Formats: sequence, C-alpha cells, structure tokens
Amino acid sequence: MAVSRGLRLAAWQLGRSFASMLGLALVAVIVVLALIGPWIVPYPDDVEGAVRLAGKLQPPSAAHWFGTDEVGNDVLTRTIIGARLSLLVGIGITLAAAAIGVPLGILAGTAGGRVREIIMRLTDLFLSVPGLVLAIALVAALGAGIVNAMIALVLVWWPGYVRLAESKALSIREEAYIEAARVAGAPRLRILWRHVLPNSISPIIVKMSMDIGQAILAVASLGFIGLGAKPPTPEWGAMISIARGYLPDWWWYAIFPGAFIYASVLGFNLLGDGLRDILDPRSNRG
Amino acid sequence: MSNTTRRAVLHGAALSALAPSMSWAFDKDGDRKIMIFSGNQAVPVLDPHVRYDWSTRMIQQSVYDGLLKYVGNPPRIIPWLAEKFEASPDGLTYTFHLAGNARFHNGDPVDAEAVRYSFERALKLNAGVAWMLKDFLKPEKITAVDAKTVRFVLERPFQPFISYVPWWYIVNPKQVQVNVVDGDYGKKWLTENEAGSGPFKLKRFDSTALIHMDAVPDYWKGWPMGDKNRLSGVIYRIVREAAPRRAGLQRREMDVITNMSPDDMQQLAKLPGVREENHPGSTTFGIKFNCQTGPTADINLRKAIAYAFDYEALITIHNGGATLMDSPFPPTLEGHIPVPGIPRKDIAKAKEFLAKSKSPQGGIELEYVHVQGLEDARRIGLVLLDSLRALDIKLNIVGQPWPTMVARGSKPDTAANMTSVYVTPIGTDPDTVAFQYHRDSWGLYYGMSHYEDKEAWAMIAEARGLTDKARRMALYGEIQKRIVADQPEIFGMIPNRTWAMRDYVKGFEFSPVRFTGEVDLYPMWIDA
Amino acid sequence: MLVYLLRRIALAGLMLFGLVCLTFAIANLAPSDPAALAAGPDAGRSQIEQVRREYGLDRPLPEQFLRYVSDLVQGEFGRSVATGRSVGRDLARYFPATLELCLVAMAFGMVAGISLGMLSALFKDRWLDHVTRIFAVSGIALPPFWFGLLLQLGFAAWLGWLPTSGRIGVSTDPGDPITGLLLVDSLLRGNGPLFVQCLSYIALPALVLSLPCLASILRVNRSEMVEALRADYITAARAHGVSRWRLVTVHALKNAMLPTLAIIGLRWGWMMSSTVLVETVFDWPGIGLYAVSSAIAGDFKPVMGVTLIIGLNFMLVNLIVDLLYGVLDPRLRHA
Repeated sequence: MAVSRGLRLAAWQLGRSFASMLGLALVAVIVVLALIGPWIVPYPDDVEGAVRLAGKLQPPSAAHWFGTDEVGNDVLTRTIIGARLSLLVGIGITLAAAAIGVPLGILAGTAGGRVREIIMRLTDLFLSVPGLVLAIALVAALGAGIVNAMIALVLVWWPGYVRLAESKALSIREEAYIEAARVAGAPRLRILWRHVLPNSISPIIVKMSMDIGQAILAVASLGFIGLGAKPPTPEWGAMISIARGYLPDWWWYAIFPGAFIYASVLGFNLLGDGLRDILDPRSNRG
Repeated sequence: MSNTTRRAVLHGAALSALAPSMSWAFDKDGDRKIMIFSGNQAVPVLDPHVRYDWSTRMIQQSVYDGLLKYVGNPPRIIPWLAEKFEASPDGLTYTFHLAGNARFHNGDPVDAEAVRYSFERALKLNAGVAWMLKDFLKPEKITAVDAKTVRFVLERPFQPFISYVPWWYIVNPKQVQVNVVDGDYGKKWLTENEAGSGPFKLKRFDSTALIHMDAVPDYWKGWPMGDKNRLSGVIYRIVREAAPRRAGLQRREMDVITNMSPDDMQQLAKLPGVREENHPGSTTFGIKFNCQTGPTADINLRKAIAYAFDYEALITIHNGGATLMDSPFPPTLEGHIPVPGIPRKDIAKAKEFLAKSKSPQGGIELEYVHVQGLEDARRIGLVLLDSLRALDIKLNIVGQPWPTMVARGSKPDTAANMTSVYVTPIGTDPDTVAFQYHRDSWGLYYGMSHYEDKEAWAMIAEARGLTDKARRMALYGEIQKRIVADQPEIFGMIPNRTWAMRDYVKGFEFSPVRFTGEVDLYPMWIDA
Repeated sequence: MLVYLLRRIALAGLMLFGLVCLTFAIANLAPSDPAALAAGPDAGRSQIEQVRREYGLDRPLPEQFLRYVSDLVQGEFGRSVATGRSVGRDLARYFPATLELCLVAMAFGMVAGISLGMLSALFKDRWLDHVTRIFAVSGIALPPFWFGLLLQLGFAAWLGWLPTSGRIGVSTDPGDPITGLLLVDSLLRGNGPLFVQCLSYIALPALVLSLPCLASILRVNRSEMVEALRADYITAARAHGVSRWRLVTVHALKNAMLPTLAIIGLRWGWMMSSTVLVETVFDWPGIGLYAVSSAIAGDFKPVMGVTLIIGLNFMLVNLIVDLLYGVLDPRLRHA
C-alpha cells in the first residue's frame, strides 16, 4: 500500500515535469528500437556486411529514409540496430563501474584508516586524469574494438562511484541506528548490506541513470576517433567517423547517427534529472 | 616578400575567410608567383639520409639533387649532378662524372668529395635509404677520384644499383660538418635545415604546418619554363582534413591539392577552373595470406579465397580510378608481364578449391588486418567479408596501428590470416618487388606472407646479379608466373594517383615511380 | 594555510608520479614494435635493431621506466617513434593552440553561462527559462564531434560565413610566435585583419568546447539567483525600491561567484580532455589532436606526454581554485 502510494507520488512528480517526461519518452523510444530493431528494419542484411556498391551514397528517399552509406548500406537500418549496441554498452559500462566502485566506496567509508587512505588515493589518481584521454590511450594500446572500449571506460569510470558511495557511507556511519546495530553485535558485513547500502542507493541510482547516457556518449567518442566497434558492426560513433570524410556533399550519412546519440544521451540525462528531484531532492549538483 | 604585400595577403585571407565568395588569387612576390601545394602529410624529418615518405621526399627532391633523376612516364633515369656514368662489364664498378657547374645553396661547388661524403653518411647512419645499398656497398669502397669523378665498387654484382641512385641526395659536407653534435653526422641540424644544391632553398620550415621554399634564381641546371616564368617559390601547406583542402582549391587559396578521396575527386572535377590529374600509379594493394600457419597455409583455401574475391569492387570503390593487378609486379616495373590465369571472381572455381581444402564446407573464421585509419583498406575488408559469405567463411576485420601490425607480421605464428598492405616500389628495377617474395624478406611488412618456395627464392637471388638483360627479364617472367601459381596473396589493384589543380598551373609532369601524392615541383609554374 | 598548501602540493606530486606509472603501464600493454615504426617501412632487420638500441627499446622495462622518469625530471618527454622528434618540443609547440582554444571557450562559457543563468532566473518558469533549461542539458548531451560537424556544415559549407577547420588561413603567415596564442600575438603586433581572421577560425571550435561548461555555469547561476531573489535581504532591498535588475546583477551575482569558480576548476580539466574530440573535428593543431593522431599511429610517447600535461593542468587548476576559495570565502579559511 505504502509502496504503491510512493510510486504513484513519484510518477505524479515525474509526470509534472515536461523535461522528465521528454527524457522518459526518449529513453522509451531507444529501448523499444533496441528491442524490436532487427524485426522492423528494412534491410536487415546491411548490418551483416552486405556490400552494394552500386547504390552507395544515395540521398534520403522513400526506399532509404536516411540515405545510404559508402558501401551502399541503408543508414536507417544501421542506425536503428546501432541503438542495441549503444544501449547495451552504456548499461554494461555503468553496471560494471558501479559494481566495482560502490563496494569499494562503502568499504572505504566504513573501514576508515589505511584501507580508506589507499582506496581514496587510487580514486583521486584516476579522477585527476580526465577519463577520455586515458581511455583513448588504453584502447589504443589494447587494440580497437567494442570490448576493449568497454574495458577502458569501466577502468576510468569506477572511481566516481567510489567517491559517491564513500561520502554516503561516511555520513550514514555516524547515524544512531548504525551505532545501535553495532552495539547489538551485528556483524560488519550485515551492517553494510542491511543498513549502509540501502541508504545510499538513491543517489547511486540517479548517478547511474545519468551515466548510461554519458557512457553511450563516451563509446561513441571512441568510435569517432576510430577506436570503436569493428566493421561491419553498426556503431554510431564509428559511423560518424567514416561519414565525416563524406561531408559536406553526403551530409545525411553523418547527421542521423549523431541525432540518435544526442537523443539517447539527452533522454538519459533528463530522466536522471527527474529521478534526482524525486529520489534525492536535497542534492543539487551544478 | 615585402612587408606591404604580406599585409595585403593577410588582409585577403581574412576577408576570404569571412566571405568566401570574394576569391583572391595565388600569392605573389612582385611579378613572380608563389605556388601553394597542399597535402595531408607532415614532413617531420627533412634529412635525406634519415627518412623518406611522399611528402618528405617531395621537399627533399626540391632542395637537394641526386646524381641521377627519375622523370616522366614511363619513368626514365636521366643524368643530373652526374652528366654520365659507366659500369664495368662485371657489374662491380660504377664511375660517375659530375657536371661540374653545380653549386650548393651557399655557393660551394658540388664536387666528388661531396658525393662520397653523402653516400658514406647515408650508409653510416643506416636509416632511410640505407637499406637499398648497404649489403652491396661499403663506405670505404667509394672514392673521389678527382674533383669531378666518383667511383663506387660494389661487393658483388647488383643490377638494381642504378635504379636506387636517384634517391640518394647529395648534401654539402662543409655545411653539415660545422653542425655536427656528438658525432651525429649533423643529423640533428639536418632535421629542419638543408644543405643542398636543388632548385629550391628552404625559407621557412614548420614540419606540421607549412614549408616555404624559395626558387634558386640561378639554379645551375636552369629553369625549364624560362627564367621569366619561374616561380618565386612554393609553399607546401599541411592540412590534415580533406574538406578545407577542397575549399582552399575552390577559393583559389591553393593551387594544387592531393590526398583526396575518389568521391571527392569526382566532385572537384566538376568545378570550373579546376583540372584533374589522374594517372595509374605503381603502388600495389595486396592482401597477404599467412602461408605458414593457420588455415591459409593450405594453398587450396588461398586459391578459393582468391577466386571468391570481388575484384570489380576494387574498381568501383575508386570510381574507376584503379587498375587490377595482373602480376605481382606493377606494370611500371621493367620485366612486368601480364600473368595468364591470374584469379578473377569465379564462385564455381572458388568452391572447387574450397572442396579440396581442409575445410571443404567453409564454416571457419579468418582475420583480416589493415592499418588503422586507412579508409580504403577498411572498405576492401568489407568487400572481402561480403565475398567470403559465398564460401560460408566469416571474416573478422581488424584495424591495427602500423607498429602492432608489423610486430604481428614479423613471425608466422603471430601473423594474421590475411593482412592488407600497400607497397610502393622504390625504383623501376624488378628486383625491388621480386625480392619481397624472397626468404630474406620474411617478417618485413611486405614479407608477412612468409612465402616459401625454394626454387623461386633461388631464381630471385640469381636474377638480381645477372648482367645479361634479356636473360634477366626472362627469368623475372618465370618468377612472376611462379608466384601467382602459389597465391601467397590476393593480388589486388593499383590505385590511380590523383591531384586536383587550378587550370593555370603548368608544367606538371607525372612519374609513376614517385610516391602517392609526390610531385616534382621543379618544372611547375603558374601561367596567369 | 601554508601547511595546507604544502600538503596539497606534495599530494599533487604523488598523484603525478602515479599518473606517470599508469601511463607507462598502458603504453607498454600494446604488443607492438615501436622500433619498426621508427625505422620506416622499408627498413631491414639490422636497421630496426639499430633503432631499437638508439631509442633504448632493447632495455628491460624497469630500466626504460627509470630512464623515462629521469627524463621527465629534466623536462624531457622522450622521443616520438613516428617522427623521431622530441615530444617535449612538440608539446611546447602544440600546447599554446590548445590553451588559446580553452581560454576562449572558458571565457565564452562564463559570459554566456552567467548571463543566460541570470536571464533564466529573472524569467523563472517562463518560456525563456524552459528553453535555457533544455539548452543546459543539451550542453552535456550533445556529442561534441557531431555538433562540431553540424556547425561546419551550417556555417562553413552552406552559409560560408566561417572557415571549416584549421587555426589560420592556408596562405597566411602567422609570423614567429610571441606568446604562441595567435589572438594575443596579432594584437601585440597591431595586426587587426589577422586578429579577425584568427577569431573566425577559433569561433566554432571554441563554441563546441564551451558548451558543457556553459551549461554547468548556467545551471548554478540560475539556481543561486533564484535562491538569492527569495532571500530576506533582497526582499528588504526591494522594499527600499532597488530595481530587480540591479539586485540580480549586484547581489545575486556576488553569491554565484563561488560555485561558478568551483565549476571552472572542475570543468577546466574536462575541457582540456574534450579537446581530443573538438581538435580532431576542427583540425585544430593542439595537444588533443596530437594525442589522437599519435594514438591511432601506435606512437605512445606523445600520448603519455599529453596525458601528463592534462593531468598536471587539472591538478594545478584545482589547487588554484582551492586557494582562491580559501581567500574568497572567509568561512572556509579556518576549516
């Protein structure tokens, strides 16, 4: 009863904000496209590596709404299928980063002492280098490819979660009920699991929803530099990277994949904003 | 350039940047013009004995002279600093007689000692051009007989010798020696300075942005367009992206541009006042099989892939601006023959060969490696992927940086199943390409196929020393057929070399022996 | 204060060392042969081996690391294997371009961010406010490389108002650098047309680069000003007949100063790292482009150098911001 009322309140709050609704709608569209993409695209063969050189670089038309690319593949098809990859990768990176960062952060926040010092210094080290440069270096060293791009981005992404989880854990540690549980003799792990984690979960969820968008953007950035998915896998950033060589005459090739990146990142950011207003109203980041 | 004209130029540039409709013509220096040439590749090291690539060599050829020079199509070797040379009948001794009137930019005469020093320097530095001659020529065996005569005595007969000499540029020993730091042969100084006798001298050198060269007014060889028409100088402007180069040519801020994609060239050719130079080159594109390990060690699979490949797509990708290889040698090489029966797409034959291989039904995955960032090589990978679907073979297309690709290709165990490479022969002698199939080339970038055929190796080794030209060329015919029969690679295509230039640019002379993008700036001028 | 400062500097030094270790480890992950790159494509085995010795690449890794660290201490960043040039000298040449781009972008971000934030607060919940809000989120969501291409298409290819890419006209001689910042140099020389030209080249990349920063500043300023407009002393001031406009510009702006400063500190480092994308799109000859093209070529010394320079910048700016904070905010001084 209480839960459903809470949910309804949340939904009402979300619904009240135009920006949040826009975000929700954008995310929903991307998710739906990712789910049913392979069944609705007009030229499913074009993501498997079909080459139709006779029809290369055709402008948008009834047959090819978004035009065709440099080997005659349908840009619409490749853009829609690209949503799957981007979404998966975005969620994957965020989950992996949180899975590494949150336990470390809670550990640092509750353990204190030398453990905390080591974890936090390492975190600071990673946070002191802007992630994209490090990720580029990593992927360049490991070799281009979507898996390596994910590894690199997870490696530069987890410290953010350590910071967040640590500060939450620190603030909760001092609360009376934790003290009480400790006095009552509850084992440390149990305290962490039962009390600390649930109380720091809202800001983490908010951060994750924002980060999915940013991770999608980061993967696309690596793809743009030429360090993303291998051909013929359709990846938005890689598509733009190639399309760039065909500007300005063949503009449609670069425009559409980019619009999809923008829409999905915008969607996740607006949604994250909305969620923060509901779940974590006190925090107000710049 | 005087101060006032420079300011005028700057002003013009600013205006044209803001309002491209206001076009403004080529740069001027009094009555003489400055030609602006733009490409995408920097010139990190100018030292002629340390490095070469197309852009570097274009500048080197402009500020330095060699004993001989390549010109024309088909390429000929003409006398340059040396007015003549003779070879002994045993093919060991070469004697060059210098023209005598050549002068370095600082006024010193180009004498035999300068030639000796330059060859010694190149050999001792053991970088750049050194590989061409270092196994056949020792520094001690080069002698300045008198001021105008140099003698080279080779270790053993080496017929390609003369074909390499044009790339060995002569530096002024006196200028170099005063700039030696820690016995480095002046390497540090020559990185950004020149000590040459060529038609141009360096005015401004910014390796990644622009190189400005002034024409030498009283160049010892004279100017082919006459002194009245000669340029004031040439600016090589490095612009990485194609779009601004295209815009630059359109607005007449640039006179000649290169490194444009075939699609861009097609658009450019439509512009009024723009001329396209489009010529069959000598750079071959091949996909090297790993002949030692993995599925491609099986000749039947190699043949199957070679017959499945869609060769016509190579031409389509270049909008018609490419020719298919009909031999391991490009046609610009002496002794090239079209090899009969070189594979073309034939799915029935491909399946026949596949049936004889260890995986008669396909069902395998192969790796195709190309140099990261090379768009054409990537697209050809896609074509190969599409072609191999007919054989139910999957293809993993991997772009790798050059050093990674070469490191992998250096051993049969790590070399990819297929690696695509562009190879530009350094001269016109057939040995330059033939030797790439020799055992001694294993592991180098053009030897990644680790091709093995002891008889072919023996023939290749024999041919480079043969002094009887007819016998030598016949032997190369046999070598070409043999290599094709073994299919160590997919013999792909030879892309055309293209430049777009304003129609007032005159004197352009194509020579396929130069690298992609490289032009001989010496005979060029502007008629307007 | 002094103790705090020294501690911070010591910590930054430690971080920098950690960064050196990290980049060195990354650079040596690659299964590549840098000597083959350095020796050139046609080089034979003996040449490659010679280059390997020359670059010290034949030494064991710990030794290479020690040499790299000792080089760094002397201000040397090693040599690029692709070009054979000193990375330190390359960085010195490319850094001013990046600095110029970032400074212009930051200045634009501040001015536009603060003024839009102010307007947004003044017209709270009106259409202008909604538009700027969406705009603010877009600032973070727009892929800079794509937005850059759109601007190139619109302003350069179609309208023809601004140049597509590069830092200066193809046949313009910038002269020998004084500060290395072309805008400053052209002013110092009194060369108006050159200044205008440089401005036309920097406009689009600076705009793209400034967006995330602009968005953050906008948001902070808006919320600070909305807050301030509600505050008691403002109400009191308004009762005294002080105009809304004056209130916002004087009082609220003062309040927004500190958070804006914090954002600049945070965003400066991010901005420097986004240059890898923006400079690639606009062919801007700075350290970002240098890092990307080197990474693609498999040439790691330049990538390490750029990472260190950006990391150093980040730490320095954060240090400065922290100190400024201490000076500007008396409450923090004793904390």
